[in-house]
Amino acid sequence: MSNVILKGKKVSKWYKMGEVRVDALKKVTFEIYQGEFIVVLGPSGSGKSTLLNIIGGMDQVSEGELFYQGSPLHGAEESVVTRYRRNAVGFIFQFYNLMPNLTAFENVQLATEIATDPLPAADILAEVGLADRAGHFPAQLSGGEQQRVAVARAVAKNPELLLCDEPTGALDLKTGIQILKLLRDFNIKYKKTVMVITHNASIADMADRVFSLKDGELASVRVIDNPKSPEEVSW
Amino acid sequence: MLWKKTWRELRENKAAYLACITVIAIGLMFFVSMSVIFEGLSSAKNKFYSDYRFADGFAVVRGLSETQMARLASVEGVDRLEGRMVKDVRVFAPEREENIYLRLVSIRPEQVTRLNDVMLLDGAMPAGGSHGILVDPAFLEANNLQPGDTIHVIIAGNQVELSVAGAAFSPEFVYALRNPMDIYPDPLTFGVAYLPLETMQILFGEETLNDIVFTLSAGYTYEDVEGRLKPRLETFGLESIYARKDQFSEVMLAQELQGVQSMVASVPLLFLIVAATILYILFKRMVEQQRGQIGILKALGYSSREILLHYLSYALIIGALGGLLGSLLGFWLSFPLMTVYEEFFNLPGLTGRFSFGYLVISLLFSTGFAGLAGYFGSKEVLKLQPSEAMRPPAPPVAKKTLLEGWHCYWDNLTVQGKMATRNAFRNPGRSFFTLIGVMFAFSLIATTGYFLSITDLLILDQFTKVQTHDVKVVFAAPLDSRDARLELSRLPGVNRFEAYLEVPAIIKQGWYEKDTIVLGLEPNSEMYNLLTKRGVKVPLPPEGLVLSQKLAGNLHAGVGSRLEIESPYAKENPVYAEVVDIVPQHLGTNAYMEINALGRLLGQGHISTAALLAVEEGAYPYLKDRYREAKGVFSVEEKGAMLNKFNELLESYSFTYWILALFGMFTGFAVIYNSGVVSLSERRRELASLRVMGMTPAEVLQVLSFEQWFVSLFGMLAGVPMTMLFLQVMASAMDNDLFSFPVVFELQPFIIGAVGTTVSIWLTQKVIFRKIRRLSMVEALKERD
Repeated sequence: MSNVILKGKKVSKWYKMGEVRVDALKKVTFEIYQGEFIVVLGPSGSGKSTLLNIIGGMDQVSEGELFYQGSPLHGAEESVVTRYRRNAVGFIFQFYNLMPNLTAFENVQLATEIATDPLPAADILAEVGLADRAGHFPAQLSGGEQQRVAVARAVAKNPELLLCDEPTGALDLKTGIQILKLLRDFNIKYKKTVMVITHNASIADMADRVFSLKDGELASVRVIDNPKSPEEVSW
Repeated sequence: MLWKKTWRELRENKAAYLACITVIAIGLMFFVSMSVIFEGLSSAKNKFYSDYRFADGFAVVRGLSETQMARLASVEGVDRLEGRMVKDVRVFAPEREENIYLRLVSIRPEQVTRLNDVMLLDGAMPAGGSHGILVDPAFLEANNLQPGDTIHVIIAGNQVELSVAGAAFSPEFVYALRNPMDIYPDPLTFGVAYLPLETMQILFGEETLNDIVFTLSAGYTYEDVEGRLKPRLETFGLESIYARKDQFSEVMLAQELQGVQSMVASVPLLFLIVAATILYILFKRMVEQQRGQIGILKALGYSSREILLHYLSYALIIGALGGLLGSLLGFWLSFPLMTVYEEFFNLPGLTGRFSFGYLVISLLFSTGFAGLAGYFGSKEVLKLQPSEAMRPPAPPVAKKTLLEGWHCYWDNLTVQGKMATRNAFRNPGRSFFTLIGVMFAFSLIATTGYFLSITDLLILDQFTKVQTHDVKVVFAAPLDSRDARLELSRLPGVNRFEAYLEVPAIIKQGWYEKDTIVLGLEPNSEMYNLLTKRGVKVPLPPEGLVLSQKLAGNLHAGVGSRLEIESPYAKENPVYAEVVDIVPQHLGTNAYMEINALGRLLGQGHISTAALLAVEEGAYPYLKDRYREAKGVFSVEEKGAMLNKFNELLESYSFTYWILALFGMFTGFAVIYNSGVVSLSERRRELASLRVMGMTPAEVLQVLSFEQWFVSLFGMLAGVPMTMLFLQVMASAMDNDLFSFPVVFELQPFIIGAVGTTVSIWLTQKVIFRKIRRLSMVEALKERD
């Protein structure tokens, strides 16, 4: 657990809403190791999503420093950040965000086409249990199935970092657990870092480490020595 | 994979994109068909001119002998010079209402080649001394004549029988008009016949030649040669000498080519600009609508450039499809269009065709325009941060709209009306799109409508307000007006006589010169009126020249300018006259003068070349009969017959305008339909919510339709100045010596525009209504913004 892949130093982010400045993150410092499973907890408005966006290269920091494997991401050029997103990061969103007019398989291909070292799209789709649904459009799939496509799409790029924003938020318990299991499998099988953002505290039990955010600050970091398996989690 | 997204999206919104493709295709169809016609006409012309040795210079003289002619051929700079006899004769056809004329042109069958040679299409060259003639095929066809048939003509008061030996074209009469005052060739009443010189000399009882054609030696210009020939010809009664560029058929052909060329430049541009504007707005809205998807693509690691290219690919596909479709239609259209040109121009080898070059050019044009529109419409994607893109845009600030202050308006609205009004103001982008769409639709329909109504108006004005005579008697040679009056005004049925003088002339001011006709009119003429733009009669000043606006423009002359006039009718050349007034004139370019003042200026006293008569009903047949074989009278023309002739020709033209109007209507519908459908798809959730609340589809439609009518009203208003702008552009592109389209405010085209637009909106709303009925509430509400 000594291999740091991502490092944030006094990361701040604020938004200007007309005259008012809204601070979303306040001087957050953290390190993320290779192959660990992190859960970020916090109530709405605590800055979870902002942190995820910044880590994922979806947004720029207002102040502070951010390094991926030693290279700075803060103030980096658009092309550098795009390359980082393309090769190092996989995203999973609460509302799946699939391309509505591409099939399940094609949605996965959309990601594998641009990655440098992708996993075979068909295999990944089979791994998430959707081999027989490959030709379906998102509208023809259930919520759980759509989220599995989203997982496959993120995983297929074979990223170092898998970032998940409330991946179970829109799902029922059973389906949610299926998704969490997929995430854990990826984490173990490919030794990649997974970061899950949620306001659901029970999910934290399956993490290696838990970040708790409050009012834009990193309130605590808890290490769990014996994380539960996803099947044991319930809410 | 993004390609699949592109294709599927194009398929899903096919109606909207199809509309754009259609507009582009229409524009390029014009471009390609007109270009093919331009090229076909010019290459056919060049080939015909060179193969049949079209002369470089022309001269008309009173008469000179063969030996004198031979001497002229040795003038420096002249390559080849030939003398001919050219005479107009009337065809004897008592069964026909109208007068029929043949222009007899002598040829020398014994020569192997000739200048302005004839291209034999049918039959054989008549032998010297025979009464055989070669006739232009249009005349033969129009009058149901074939080789072997006979034609009776009146020569010097005697009937002469000529037999048709064959059909032939010559480069000299590609556009065969009897005189420059006619506008369209009318093969039914005018044709050209070629016959051996020997025969002609016998028939007319004259040895002398009255027409000269020549070509230039290499290295000499026409002006060089004109300078040397002119003084020699003057001793033989030179009437006119002119270069090929001023030869009448060539002038018409060149003008038509120029007209086609300007059509090529203006009409397609109009459609492409409309299409590009629509595409631009369409893309702006699509990018806005697909913010979320753009965000995901960016999150996945697609670069801004790749995403921009993706959106650009839509535009390029649309452009390419429109270009391809338009070019193919254009090539196809060039075939029937060319047959129309065949009717007007006696040119061999006119045919539509396929051209790879134009296909490439039109594809470049269409993809270029579409690409630019797509780029500017979607370049916003570059600016979006991925996290920002995935959030819906900040909702527009809700505040009261301006109209809410107008209580009389606002308080009378239904809830749907209020929603619609607020929507229109809160979503300025969307409203703007509809507004632009309606504006273009309205302008296109109104512009075509304008041409439809103005052509009728021009002709009608010319014959009901400008030329108000009933019968025109044209003299074979200028006569003393007083004698003519004495003879004609005492005839039964003649109510009024006015002398009329047509003087061919070259008018010059400094560098500028113009070949035209000066009309001499009686001081208080009631049968030829000069009018202002508003149709008010302008009195003819007792002295000085009145110019048509067009002619004044050509000569850069204004009131007070002193112009130099050269005319075969003048005793001494040149003479000078001062411009005293300028009047608008849309048909032809003339100068006017009081008839006696003109006679004095020319040194000819009281001459006239024709008489304008007001007659009682039924007097025309009597007049026609009386002068059928008279030596001094060339023709007796009834205005009614001319008006009918024009109307017939106009009908064939109006077909073209209707087609254009139909395209305008279709484009208008496409634009409005497009904006309506896009509005619907953007507001599915909102409209579904209304359905959930219990509104009927008709009530939901009201929200959309009220907004559409509301915005369309302003769109139509904006279309009025836009139409005027379109018209200005078209008018200046289509301007020529014969026609100039006045751009005046006419109500009718705007009514046509409003009706066309309204019908389009109504049809669009029918389609939208069906879509609202089919709108699945559950689906629409499940979607996330």
